[in-house]
Amino acid sequence: MSMRRLIAAALLPLALTAAACGGQATQEAQTTPAPGTSATPESFGENSLVIYSGRNENLIAPLIDKLKAATGVDVQVRYGDSAELAAQILEEGDRTRADLYFSQDAGALGALSKAGLLAPLPQPLLDRVPEKYRGADGTWVGVSGRARVIAYDPRQVKDAPKSVFDLTDPKYKGKVGWAPTNASFQSFVTALREVSGEDKARKWLTDMKANDTQTFAKNGDILNALDEGKISAGLINHYYWFEKVAEKGEAAVPSKLAFPQAGDPGSLVNVAGVAVLKASKRAEVAQKATDFLLAAEAQKYFSDDTKEYPLIEGVPTAAGLPALDSIKGPDLDLGKLDSLDQTLTLLKEVGLV
Amino acid sequence: MRLEVDGVSKAFGGTRVLDDVSLVVDDGELAAVLGPSGCGKTTLLRIVAGFESADAGSVAVGGADITSLPPERRRIGIVPQEAALFPHLTVRRNVGFGLPRGAASAERARECLDLVGLSGFGDRMPHELSGGQQQRVALARALAPGPGVVLLDEPFNALDRSLRVSVRDDVRDALKRAGATAVLVTHDQEEAMSMADTVAVMREGRIVQKDEPASVYAAPRDLGVATFVGEAVILPASAAGGVASCVLGALPYAAGGSEGQGRVAVRPEQFVLTVPGGGTVGRVERVEFFGHDAALTVVLDGERDGEGVVIRARTRGDAGHRTGDRVGVEVEGSVLFFVS
Amino acid sequence: MARTVTSSSARGTRLGRPLRRVPRVLLVPAVLTALISLLPVAYLVVRASGGGIETVVETIWRARTWELTVASLGLAAAVTLLSIFVGVSLAWLVVRTDLPGRRVFGVLAALPLAVPSYVAAYIWIAAFPGLTGFTGSVLVLTLVSYPYVYLPVAAALARIDPAMEEVALSLGRGRMSVVLRQLRPSAAAGALLVAMYALGEFGAVSIMRFDVFTTQIYTSYRASFDRTPAAVLGLLLVVVTFVIVVAESRSRGRAAYATRGAPPRRRRVVALRPAGKAAALVWSGAVAAAAVGFPFAGICYWLLEGASSGVRPDRLLAAFGATVGMAAAGALVSTALAVPVGVIAARYRSRTASVLEQASYVGHALPGIVVALSLVFFAVRYAYPLYQRWPMLVLAYAVLFLPAAVGAVRASVLQSPPVLEEVARSLGRGPFAVMRQVTLPLALPGVTAGAALVFLTAMKELPATLLLRPTGMDTLATRLWTETGSGAYGAAAPYAAVLMLVAAVPGFVLGRRSTKEDT
Repeated sequence: MSMRRLIAAALLPLALTAAACGGQATQEAQTTPAPGTSATPESFGENSLVIYSGRNENLIAPLIDKLKAATGVDVQVRYGDSAELAAQILEEGDRTRADLYFSQDAGALGALSKAGLLAPLPQPLLDRVPEKYRGADGTWVGVSGRARVIAYDPRQVKDAPKSVFDLTDPKYKGKVGWAPTNASFQSFVTALREVSGEDKARKWLTDMKANDTQTFAKNGDILNALDEGKISAGLINHYYWFEKVAEKGEAAVPSKLAFPQAGDPGSLVNVAGVAVLKASKRAEVAQKATDFLLAAEAQKYFSDDTKEYPLIEGVPTAAGLPALDSIKGPDLDLGKLDSLDQTLTLLKEVGLV
Repeated sequence: MRLEVDGVSKAFGGTRVLDDVSLVVDDGELAAVLGPSGCGKTTLLRIVAGFESADAGSVAVGGADITSLPPERRRIGIVPQEAALFPHLTVRRNVGFGLPRGAASAERARECLDLVGLSGFGDRMPHELSGGQQQRVALARALAPGPGVVLLDEPFNALDRSLRVSVRDDVRDALKRAGATAVLVTHDQEEAMSMADTVAVMREGRIVQKDEPASVYAAPRDLGVATFVGEAVILPASAAGGVASCVLGALPYAAGGSEGQGRVAVRPEQFVLTVPGGGTVGRVERVEFFGHDAALTVVLDGERDGEGVVIRARTRGDAGHRTGDRVGVEVEGSVLFFVS
Repeated sequence: MARTVTSSSARGTRLGRPLRRVPRVLLVPAVLTALISLLPVAYLVVRASGGGIETVVETIWRARTWELTVASLGLAAAVTLLSIFVGVSLAWLVVRTDLPGRRVFGVLAALPLAVPSYVAAYIWIAAFPGLTGFTGSVLVLTLVSYPYVYLPVAAALARIDPAMEEVALSLGRGRMSVVLRQLRPSAAAGALLVAMYALGEFGAVSIMRFDVFTTQIYTSYRASFDRTPAAVLGLLLVVVTFVIVVAESRSRGRAAYATRGAPPRRRRVVALRPAGKAAALVWSGAVAAAAVGFPFAGICYWLLEGASSGVRPDRLLAAFGATVGMAAAGALVSTALAVPVGVIAARYRSRTASVLEQASYVGHALPGIVVALSLVFFAVRYAYPLYQRWPMLVLAYAVLFLPAAVGAVRASVLQSPPVLEEVARSLGRGPFAVMRQVTLPLALPGVTAGAALVFLTAMKELPATLLLRPTGMDTLATRLWTETGSGAYGAAAPYAAVLMLVAAVPGFVLGRRSTKEDT
């Protein structure tokens, strides 16, 4: 490293600040990349679409390719954690670069909706999915569903648990795994609160904690512990099990899935969904993409490849899964799952997060 | 160029380090600032060089006020204690550091290396030189840009004693040949006296006396200066009419005409040891033999009120005194007298 | 060349004592650096105040907040103390004893820097599922972060004159009494980095299922989309960091100014007795096995195990290129930003100097997501053309990893006597020219080592990279995140392996440097 180079590097931050000071960023600046600053070919042309995706690239990238092929739209995807991307969009406000936000769960969509950052979707698009799987204000729509399940170890548990309330039984002491910081779990607790009431939800959490329920960071970790025989049951999403079977083979996954009985909050079906940003200048293109995600090709992809539930009528669910409308789940408006604040307060009070 | 320091004061956190210091060094003069450690002499040097700013007062070189100039614009060369050559540069590039790039500068650097007697060392790295050579390179480096003034900060401290004298001569020669105005800061009176044209004695943040070395030695302003610039035997005395009376008898004194109770200072070399006779007599207590001369510690007989007075005298090395010898003590020349 | 080197006291009167007034050429860029590193704090203040005083008070007084503060401080304290123990003991064995194979151990001791904490945590927990909570977190964080202590301490040991130890022995005192005293500044500087790292760490502790302060911050963002409590907690973390930084700079005291003069020419080595030698071998071997061998073996296991590992070489290559490019740019920019602050910290003694240095440290314990969001906040408002472009990511790396670079600059500048700079000034060079021609060339080896440290840390960075990278760009760490996120550990393994191998290169260089000065 020569001195000259070091000095040149020393000037870079000055340049950055200069850019920052003069950065009353204009519309041209948005469409014209600053010279020499782009590491990858990027374009923010009229017809290209920027998606912030909280869904994993491995799961979604093939679908995005189909989207490109089907619509001829140039799509740029920014992958990240759903909630972190939501936080990013909240910071970006009306200067967001996102046209479409693809969230892992309804909660993050609800938060952006509440912040007034989402544009309403056309009614015909919304109407393609059942009412319970879309935003009440029409600003977001679910594209695929996932069910909360109780994964259990048939080697240790003879009868599959039928309800999350079974898990407070002393025979499960220290043998249940959950992931209290996981968003899906928190959605489930929100559902529990909505369905069973605050007191019952609190009691269940307290009882579970008293029953020495094991805390994990992720659903996948719960499943691993389960397959290793460390625990005998765990609260996860249904597709983790299918993914693991695909990765390791069925022999390596001794656990089984139980879909709790009708009405049990433990069988909540949450959705991954999309929303068009109010600040987007390509709202039409974004709606075109939403249309694609809610059409047969994409819905079949969810069913076949990510083992999720398709949400439009006429697309069959994956083999081995009970039909979506057979899961009677809690009677609940998913829109209320954005009351995560209260859930979190409850979890904090109980001492779980 | 002429250096003028006028009324400079400096305090660090309430401690006064320099108190109204004024010093003039003429063009081409080599002045020594001599003082014990902590007297403020290095602070003075740092203020002249521009590394420290004075609380009050001014510094001028060649008539131009440089008080508020940063160090790099003062044209003042410095030779620090440990040479402080740039370890990553060759000797040639060290010497040429203060010069603009170009052929003329290369020539000038060569010239300066010649001046300190190190031509041919240009391609060496500093760590390949001896301490004395490093110090000479440091001087060449300071002289190369043709500074108005060169400051030397205890430049020989880090050198072996045997080396010191010869490097001292080399440095003085080089400074003189370059016609440089120079200030040497030191606590070593021998160094100051032997090298400098003038000596400024500093004490507790003030310059007490500035004069030629011989004058400072022969006519110090006070007892402190007298003892700092050279060894002396101090004895109580009373003076009247150009004669100071003490245990050694009535001694003529040169300084200033003041009279009354006080003390005399007698230089060791003023003592003449004789065969015991009518004058003061003592016993040789100790002989320190240096070869060319010797220092004798003599305890005077306590005839009068001089009970157990001890003097140190210098004699030729071949004088042949031994411990226990009885000797007469006489004083040659005028002594120094200070009213107390 | 026998020379007596006198060390000058801080208030001494020799040439080359610490200066007071910072020249503008240093001050302006240093202030700029401080402002840049305070961006996250400014953002937190904006966000915290947005929620109103009640939210702030309520967040602070929540019992859980204090519980987690205690947990975080406990974790940081344990990791720091253990890192000091491991780092100092290895450094001493490698630099000062006749430990067999000490050069190899010297390199191995630095290599854990190449292991991302989340990978280490995952591998440990996969092998020992019981290793959760406090113990596991302390173990993993210590194993990945002790090199921050080892490297500066090994460098300091190489400089300290063994004569001092001999004097101590001759006075009937233990050898260690002198050694430890002299190592204090360098050990404290390293310990500071470790402590801040442990406070801000999220990935590994969440895998270890140990709830700390950062867990709460993440939860606040992730689950409730509520930025006010997160910001309040972030500010609390800043306060804690500030206290630690000030404590460290107090402990540093004046000792930092005593490292004057040339390094000792000979290095005398302590001959270990057979029993001691065996114990030393076991200890060094055990640390190397746990901190380096185990994670690398784990990755190899992943590589062999993965059924889904259909890795695409083009993606791997692209991620590799982006990782190296971004990390290198990050290292360059942090170093450039660190130079003025580090030089000031080494050479000047004033309120301004210490404020500037501390400012560059204060945001360092903040988790990556906070730093990333703060840059989102400012970039969107004031530097929109740069938003989601690589300079923003580079800037994030600089903010995150500045302290390592500042520490390296400070330490290496301290090693060259300041009188050289004064001589250069007197020869007509302005402060900037002096820095360019004297200070930096002399400090270059140390500064480069600091840049290497930032480089390999930045390579492993994930949370800020995710939020700030240009759309479509992947680094090895983000690919690793994607693959593990979908449960494809087999497919993740090649990325983890390449990441660790690439990071091992600067790790190797740093480790070798620690034993190089033997000859």
